[in-house]
Amino acid sequence: MISNVISLLIAIPLLGAVVSFFAGTKAKFVALIASLIPLALSLQMYMEFDKTSKLMQFVESYDWVPSLGVKYTVGVDGIGFPLVLLSTIVSVLVIIYSWGETKKPNQYFALLLLNEVGVLGVFTSLDFFLFYIFWEIVLIPMFFLIGSWGGPRKDYAAIKFFIYTHVASLVMLLAIFALYFTYQTPEGTRTFDMLTLLAATADKTIFPTGLLNIIFAGLLLGFLVKMPAFPFHTWLPDAHVEAPTAGSVVLAALLLKMGGYGLFRVIMPMLPSVDKAFVTIIAVIAVISIVYGAFMALAQKDIKKLVAYSSVSHMGFVTLGAVAFTWMSVTGAMFQQFSHGIITCVLFMSAGTIQHVVGTRVIADLGGLADRMPKFAVLMMAGFMASLGLPGMSGFVAEFMVLTGSYATLPSYTMFVVFLSVAITAAYHLWAMQKAMFGPILKKYMNVHEPHAYELFSMAMIIVLSLIFGIQPGLITDIMGTAATQVMEPVITLTQMGVI
Amino acid sequence: MIPLELYILLASTMFTIGLYGLFTQKNGVKLMMCIELLLNSANINLVAFSAYQPNVNGQVFALFSIALAAAEAGVGFAILIALYRLYGTIDLDNINAMRW
Amino acid sequence: MYADYAYLIVALPVLAFLLCLFVGWHLPRGGGFLTVLATFAGLILSLGIFSEIYPNEIIHQSMPWFANFNVGILIDPLALVMLLMVTFVVTLIHTYANGYMNGDPGAARYFAEAALFTASMLGLIYADNLLQLFIFWELVGLCSYLLIGFWYRKPSAAAAAKKAFLTTRVGDVLFLAGIILLYNNLASLNLTLAPGEYLLQFPVIYAHVAQIPADQLTLIALGLLGGAVGKSGQFPLHVWLPDAMEGPTTVSAMIHAATMVTAGVYLVARMFPLFYAAPYGLTAVAAVGAFTALFAATMGLTAFDIKRVLAFSTVSQLGFMMAGLGVGAAVGTFAVGVSIFHLIGHSFFKALLFLGAGSVIHAVNTNDMREMGGVGKYMKWTMYTMLIGSLSLAGFPLFTGFFSKDEIIVIAYEYGVMINFLPYIMLVLAAVLTAIYTFRMWFSVFTGKERSDYGKHESPMIMIGPLVILAVFAFGFGFAAQEDFYSYLDSNFEHYDVDFAQLGIIGGHVLEGHAAPEGAALEEEQGAPEVAESGHGAAGEGEEGGEGEAGEPWYIQILPIIVAIGGILLAGLFYFDKIKKFDPSQVTGDKDPIRKLLLKGYYQHEILTGWFAETVVYGTALICNMIDIKLVDGWLNWLSAWVLGFAQHIRKVQTGVVQNYVTALVLGVVVLVVVITLAMEVGLV
Repeated sequence: MISNVISLLIAIPLLGAVVSFFAGTKAKFVALIASLIPLALSLQMYMEFDKTSKLMQFVESYDWVPSLGVKYTVGVDGIGFPLVLLSTIVSVLVIIYSWGETKKPNQYFALLLLNEVGVLGVFTSLDFFLFYIFWEIVLIPMFFLIGSWGGPRKDYAAIKFFIYTHVASLVMLLAIFALYFTYQTPEGTRTFDMLTLLAATADKTIFPTGLLNIIFAGLLLGFLVKMPAFPFHTWLPDAHVEAPTAGSVVLAALLLKMGGYGLFRVIMPMLPSVDKAFVTIIAVIAVISIVYGAFMALAQKDIKKLVAYSSVSHMGFVTLGAVAFTWMSVTGAMFQQFSHGIITCVLFMSAGTIQHVVGTRVIADLGGLADRMPKFAVLMMAGFMASLGLPGMSGFVAEFMVLTGSYATLPSYTMFVVFLSVAITAAYHLWAMQKAMFGPILKKYMNVHEPHAYELFSMAMIIVLSLIFGIQPGLITDIMGTAATQVMEPVITLTQMGVI
Repeated sequence: MIPLELYILLASTMFTIGLYGLFTQKNGVKLMMCIELLLNSANINLVAFSAYQPNVNGQVFALFSIALAAAEAGVGFAILIALYRLYGTIDLDNINAMRW
Repeated sequence: MYADYAYLIVALPVLAFLLCLFVGWHLPRGGGFLTVLATFAGLILSLGIFSEIYPNEIIHQSMPWFANFNVGILIDPLALVMLLMVTFVVTLIHTYANGYMNGDPGAARYFAEAALFTASMLGLIYADNLLQLFIFWELVGLCSYLLIGFWYRKPSAAAAAKKAFLTTRVGDVLFLAGIILLYNNLASLNLTLAPGEYLLQFPVIYAHVAQIPADQLTLIALGLLGGAVGKSGQFPLHVWLPDAMEGPTTVSAMIHAATMVTAGVYLVARMFPLFYAAPYGLTAVAAVGAFTALFAATMGLTAFDIKRVLAFSTVSQLGFMMAGLGVGAAVGTFAVGVSIFHLIGHSFFKALLFLGAGSVIHAVNTNDMREMGGVGKYMKWTMYTMLIGSLSLAGFPLFTGFFSKDEIIVIAYEYGVMINFLPYIMLVLAAVLTAIYTFRMWFSVFTGKERSDYGKHESPMIMIGPLVILAVFAFGFGFAAQEDFYSYLDSNFEHYDVDFAQLGIIGGHVLEGHAAPEGAALEEEQGAPEVAESGHGAAGEGEEGGEGEAGEPWYIQILPIIVAIGGILLAGLFYFDKIKKFDPSQVTGDKDPIRKLLLKGYYQHEILTGWFAETVVYGTALICNMIDIKLVDGWLNWLSAWVLGFAQHIRKVQTGVVQNYVTALVLGVVVLVVVITLAMEVGLV
């Protein structure tokens, strides 16, 4: 048992980022080590994690700005821990995938590590102040990754990404302040402690419904934009299309999960106390995101944009499962977060590899690539199959649980709309696959060859992971199942847990 | 003892002269001088009130203000010299390269 | 003993899949022998299990998986006969494939995919719960996609693979919806489950079907039927099956004739109590099945591609099986036995016909029957084995197809007496057409003049061997096994707490059946135990229907024989040069609208792919895209443009003239002073 394991988890990539910034061309080795250590730590945490406990684990708490009630409090439970695991895994694989980066590698790897710091911080911090700081930290490396290593419209995309999500974050910040200034501890002081504030929202005498509705709407906006859900999704395709591959992977696999994490951590405990109309609104947004995202993906000409919209569609399942508020659907939604985080990596890696091997991502210009790059084709096919929800891979389990669980509480006709999207999902994946990979090889691609081994390796690892969690979902759904019961019950504060 | 009104009258006269200068002059150095007038009118007020209301706070602030004015003058004249070297003039109407 | 190793039936092909995938490239013939061995081991195990549990035991093993779900193995009579059939037929087809795929550079990939297919199909059969069944069901679909698209460099193969996957996917979505509906309905019953019991397990479903509201049952049944329709190529989701012939012929034989497409029929049989209980459930099954049987048979008449003829024939025969299950509304669980018997018989002779066709194509190097003719001279083995297959398919007396198909027609007649004659009429017409198109194919391939210069040699023994074995079964299986088979299958649902009397009341069959003088309504509920007791008695359907064979009028008894022989003769008159009396062109010309309609397959490609997929679905996508660009993203860009434009105006305030700034400053001070003074006057400050 390592003490202060979460602080280490955050500190090591941060240190790694600084070191690799000054490491020149050796940066990739530094980055690999600095991301492998957190992976090892999080696996160690997995071993020690008490899957049946609803309490926070590995908690650390120190005073930071006592006069304002700001503390450095970190800890994980079943909501956060799977995402911590996901972050450490994805970070390692992204760094391996980017092994051949030649343009300013020191900055590149430093930014990737900084991203890891940000997301790990978001998934572990239990103090709103700290949470918000990490939430904003994530924007900066991503802004530079898109802005410096991006495609032709990188400036537009980077600024759009930054402003859009930042504005949403500010709204969220206002809501956090509203929580902060409304609630007083029994000692008469203010606190940013997340669980205390959330537990207090259940008390109608402190937070009358009218006020809580406004606070809730502000927080919700912050998270839905990050998810992203219709109609706040338009920053995503632009950001993805222009971002470098590693940026896209991190963006889709980790940054979007912050929104989903917010739903589980912050939104769901408040859901029973706010106006019931919110449930309808969120459910409608979720269903539209799922179906609309699928149709949008079908209409795309750029393979990366297709994958980006598939993210919108898949993240809609997270929202749907969360708002359906049954044990099954919430567990499924959490698993969908994890599963989408894994699977989307291989999709963006495929798109990125096609881009740099072939030189274009426009689906209509591709053709017959399987002939020249069979290994890549197999991996890409496996990734696409995982994404369209093939049983045996993790995506199916997640979607099945969400759909099964949601059916119990949501009106059945909405569910049939969602079922429809499952067929559309298959359509756009297969269409892209057929156009890009199958058929006779085009003359101009006769010299195309297999991508680098490290790219294939990281893709293969993801497929393996998806298979493992598809065949044995219990590895992680056990944790999530406990968390799901927990998010549907009143919040237990750290003091009540007795961990502080 | 000289009545307080006279100090205030002096200060407001100086302030008005300074303001008039700011409105009418275009030469950078003259503008600087007008700003000094404004500052010093405020200083007179501070010292006067301090003397009539027996505490030293006003005089302390006046000292701060003088130090500030000195610093400002230093920076301001440095800018003006730099501008003169660049443009050959310190007529502020001609120095508008950063305007839209 | 064998039962403890039942999991190996799936595990070994999976192992073969992995081996072929990773090391098959270095093995002779792509490691095909591994796949054969794995499947053969499955056959041995299945036989071992058969010897252990026949005739009145079942095997049920289960372990928890995740959340509220489990994985398990359920081998009851229904599953067992399917296991035996699949392992047997697929072993032969894999053996044949070792010859057929010899020399193909992708042989290792082929055998890997074929092994995975085998594993999925077997897993589907002995799954003990609906979710597991669905998982393997989808994997079967995946393998089908991979194998149809095996020659992925051919655009038509890639397109056919996509079409197959998407079309079946539509059905699968309905299936999934059915499962979810069923799960939620069962969950809302708040059952207390014994340890080891899970909601989606078949025994649990069977036991509690009666407690689910009837309208929900209908929805569930329609959902499951949707899945079955997709997988078994029933109207209107049959369009993928003829196109699926783009794959290697062994794939066609294995997937699109003998095994995979039967999964839909198997599903309906497996869920028969639910269909039986659902009002309109079996009616829908019967309607879909009978219509498809006729509809596909008409298209089989005009196709020129030998594999397409067989594909349409498969669709049509699957329709027979579906109809056979559907008419179970009249005869109860007996229908399951009849339908599955046809399924098994069909898999023998259809595999035989496909492999025979493959043998012909292998030699002749074309699929087009117009370029064949007289092939029989050079391929005696192929010709005679295929003749047996064709006779069986056409339902010639004493061949397997005669026993199996005609039994379906007979129970359809009983259904007609009790409920509705439409399925019966359609099935009889379809049977006539079956005989005609089958012998049109056989005559024009093997007899007559050589219509082009094709390769003239017999296929190697590794390919002929399976043909001969299959021919033996295609001939003899029917009369050797029929009665035992029926009684064994009838015992299937006795192992569970299925109360067919109660289910019949929910499903409304008793009410509809009261008109039947045979008293079938009562009999069918108790029919199953009776038959089991009578064991190997001669009775099959007779006791089921509450009357002996003699109960059917004599013309109903011999009609199928007349139909079969008449159809063959009719085909001969057109296509067999020894007795040829007519030229096909005398009946229909190229301009004939009906012929054109049939050749075009009722324009279903134009309607489904051209209109539905490309216009409606893709059009919706394009509209969404438009909305996204113009509206959802548009307002954002409009906002940012507006902000920028506003800034352009407002920046003009910064004139750069110091005097303006000072003026503004002084004015500001004045305003402040005035405001504060006024405020003090009023007393606000």
